[in-house]
Amino acid sequence: MIKPILIEGFLVALVGLTLALGANAISPRGLSLSRNYFPESSEPTKGAGGGRNQPSLQPSHPDGTNGVRDRLLAKGLQIADALAAKAAFDDPLRLQGLVIFIDARGDEAYAGGHIPGSLQLDYYHPEKYLPIVLPACTVAQRIIVYCNGGECEDSEFSALMLRDAGVAAEKIFVFGGGIVEWRQREWPVATGSSDGAANPGP
Amino acid sequence: MNNSSPPCRWRSVNWLLLLLQWALGAHFLWMGISKALDPVTFLKLLRQYELTHNYILLNGIAATLPWLEALCGLLLLTGIALRGTALVCLAMLIPFTLVVVAHARGLSTQLHIPFCAVRFNCGCGAGEVWICRKILENSVQMILTGIIIWRPGGRRAVPPATEISGPVQNPKPDSLKEG
Repeated sequence: MIKPILIEGFLVALVGLTLALGANAISPRGLSLSRNYFPESSEPTKGAGGGRNQPSLQPSHPDGTNGVRDRLLAKGLQIADALAAKAAFDDPLRLQGLVIFIDARGDEAYAGGHIPGSLQLDYYHPEKYLPIVLPACTVAQRIIVYCNGGECEDSEFSALMLRDAGVAAEKIFVFGGGIVEWRQREWPVATGSSDGAANPGP
Repeated sequence: MNNSSPPCRWRSVNWLLLLLQWALGAHFLWMGISKALDPVTFLKLLRQYELTHNYILLNGIAATLPWLEALCGLLLLTGIALRGTALVCLAMLIPFTLVVVAHARGLSTQLHIPFCAVRFNCGCGAGEVWICRKILENSVQMILTGIIIWRPGGRRAVPPATEISGPVQNPKPDSLKEG
């Protein structure tokens, strides 16, 4: 009695796994099996000293996000706190594309509300966005990457991905508070999907 | 008395089991699809359990498990390969419940709160859940899959007509009807 059940179960699992791999391969939301989505990097950011040349983007006081800060520093990433992110947002250089914001979240989250003018870079499906984001990063002098903040690590991973793609590390800053803190401070938020073009916003 | 026909209470039990099987199938289908449509979120949630440091294996689990779950749901609903499907469901439920419990125990210790006060998104497809409720839910599902596997006549999704409408009471042979 047991053997037929085991055989049947094995066949169900085999068919299921085959179908699952096929569905994952053709689904636009599918995962890449060979990609390490969660790189653990304790390597200091190259040119981290360059970050110190821009003290406005370094954390200057505890703001309750020490856990996030420690995690970012452990990955060798530079940090922008909320005030520094807002200063970058208000910087006239942003309108010239020399200061850019990058939203590391998915389509739905981005459309639901993002920092005006930010470029989208969905960390898990970057192929569509990198051709727009990388040239913009090459031109930019400062790049602020954010996601939801708190436990969200997508901004950190995106920053690492940009660094690995050749963007100078000293230009990249992670806004640890993310869109949640930005919203809490009632700073401007834009809605709608990414049109692929860098619109500086208000 | 016709010995081949089950008593009325057995027919009721069969119907109850069938309804539970459909409920289980619908549950698996729904949970599977909700995860399959957002595999990134499922991948992130799986990562919290630290099941493996092999990212290919982790990606593979996140990419395939939801679809397998949905397929099992569909098979339970249609009654195809019922026992094998129930076995696969059980094989998914047991280890998953164990890792969820282990993670919840860790959270309970870390946060200094009672075990049943732990609430987190277990990656089950239903958002944040209370751990004790989740354990109860999974236990019921495991019992159900066990019943499907081991119950007599478990290959059938729907009880045969004789079980539904009741036994035919000693039908007369055609030769006797005329006379």
